[in-house]
Amino acid sequence: MSALPNKQPFDAGRAAYLALNVALLFFLLAPIVIVLVFALNPTPYISFPPVGVSLRWFDKFFGSAEFMNALWLSLWVAGCVLVLSILIGGASALALARGNLPGRAFLTAFFMSPLMLPAILTGLALFQSYLLIGIGRPVWGLIMAHTLVAVPYVIRTTLAVLHNFDRRIEEAAAVLGASPVRVFFEVTLPLIRPGVFAGGVFAFIVSFDQFPVSLFLVVPKGETLPVVLFNYMKFDLDGAIAAASMVSILLALSVVLVLERLIGLKAYVKL
Amino acid sequence: MISRRKALRAGAGLAAVGALGAPAIAHAETATLKITTWGGKWGDIMKATVLPAFEKEFKCTVSADQAFPFMPKLQTSSKTDPLYDVFHTNSNEQWSALTEGLVMPKITAKEVPNVADVYPYAVSDKIVGVTIFTSAIGLGYRTDKGLTKPTSWKDLADPKLAGARGGYLIPVNSLGQAHLMMLGKIYGKGLTDLDAAYKALEQLKPIKLVDFTGQMEKMLLSGEVSEGVIHDSGVYRYDGQNQAVDFASPSEGVLSLEQVLNVTPGSKLRELAFGYIDYMLRPDVQKMLAEAVWYSPANKKVKLDAKYDAKLLTTEAKVATLIQPDWKWYNERKDDIDARVTKILKS
Repeated sequence: MSALPNKQPFDAGRAAYLALNVALLFFLLAPIVIVLVFALNPTPYISFPPVGVSLRWFDKFFGSAEFMNALWLSLWVAGCVLVLSILIGGASALALARGNLPGRAFLTAFFMSPLMLPAILTGLALFQSYLLIGIGRPVWGLIMAHTLVAVPYVIRTTLAVLHNFDRRIEEAAAVLGASPVRVFFEVTLPLIRPGVFAGGVFAFIVSFDQFPVSLFLVVPKGETLPVVLFNYMKFDLDGAIAAASMVSILLALSVVLVLERLIGLKAYVKL
Repeated sequence: MISRRKALRAGAGLAAVGALGAPAIAHAETATLKITTWGGKWGDIMKATVLPAFEKEFKCTVSADQAFPFMPKLQTSSKTDPLYDVFHTNSNEQWSALTEGLVMPKITAKEVPNVADVYPYAVSDKIVGVTIFTSAIGLGYRTDKGLTKPTSWKDLADPKLAGARGGYLIPVNSLGQAHLMMLGKIYGKGLTDLDAAYKALEQLKPIKLVDFTGQMEKMLLSGEVSEGVIHDSGVYRYDGQNQAVDFASPSEGVLSLEQVLNVTPGSKLRELAFGYIDYMLRPDVQKMLAEAVWYSPANKKVKLDAKYDAKLLTTEAKVATLIQPDWKWYNERKDDIDARVTKILKS
């Protein structure tokens, strides 16, 4: 006679925990599902239940020169911001964590301050500054503005890694004869890399989706995707908006997946 | 005899003069007129047809900004070197801009010859700059909900429409602001009777509110609202597309939603800016845009095709039904009005 499987007693706490997680997942994913339904629904307005499945809004999005130019500009800007944020944010975090700088707490708060100021004010202030110094609104000005609001993410994630960093590993390398440069590139950098690149992912997404800062800094025929979508929505609220949103979501997801494959962000998550 | 040194110095001097003169010549050859303009279908026609033809004729380029918000950008730029040469907005924003000295008070036939041919409303005392098109703000309604065609603004308060009537977030939408003034006229002593307007607004609850007219169009198309405040072009643009929506002009009159062009006083290209406005008022340009987006042309000489002529405001009698709000008066009270209507619609 086979033994009866062990029946675990009902655990109310665990059930509540699971229910909470399911609710959170639903809360996070439901808007994406709604956007997807709207993007695939052929009607030129939001209707539920959908009357069919169509790719007409994706066709419209990918067939529009205005949307495509905006998409490529957004990707280009976000790519530049990713690189700059990693360089500036990574170096700043190292300086803050290791530099024994006077006023370290103040400096940390200073670097984080772009996150505290409403982004629309940052955009307006930069717009005014650019006009005052007479440089107009160049693309590099937009990249600098996005970098300003993206760098704190890299600093924060890198500082988190550095906080758990065992400095004895660096000391061991130095004792064994490695130069400071070699210690940095062969010991320090590989260990903090997940934190730096996780911040880079945030920087990319923050830039790609950036609307308030871009609002004042884009120029005619040089508008980023969020700005184009906002203006489009004022006149044509159809499924092309939802299709563009789906493309944005998939692109952001792709960046995360690619970086995970290349760098292994899971290592950072485990820290 | 001229020495080598003298020749070099003279050459350098000529080069310097040339360099100083070059920007002016280059500027004249490639003048870039900076304008604001709408997006959507209007923007498509402008970019595809109207602006290229203007650029060709006037041998210039046009930098057309379609990214809102225009007003804060203009406010931020220098008055002596403004971000825009031509400022295209609705009338309410032109008044705000005038208060700050950012636009000219009037555009006359002296600067823009085609102004001589516009209807009086286009240059009335309610207008800053010059109106190039107008739309009629009235009531859009579903034709498949058993509703009779609205004949009065009061019809929007019909209890049958509770929760199925549409309006705007008044602080951010000029149609909502114009409608509030109209409530004062219909239920009180006139457009400036705010107490009557607030009382009437209270009676319109529950009402679905949107930010943009585009959203109102979609709510009407989807049947989310059965009747709502909207401009005629927002309904007529679906003409022939088998949509169960129509536009009604209330007997008390329709509100005017003007498309206004103006020139910034500090513009370095004033003549070109005036030329652009004149071009936009040409009968052929007016006809093309009016028939593309269902706007009523301001130029009296425009002859629209019968289909458009039947619906748009193209005669003296039709334009006489337009009611123009006093935006100067409204803007001066806007903060107080915003606070009051927000309180009414939130409760």
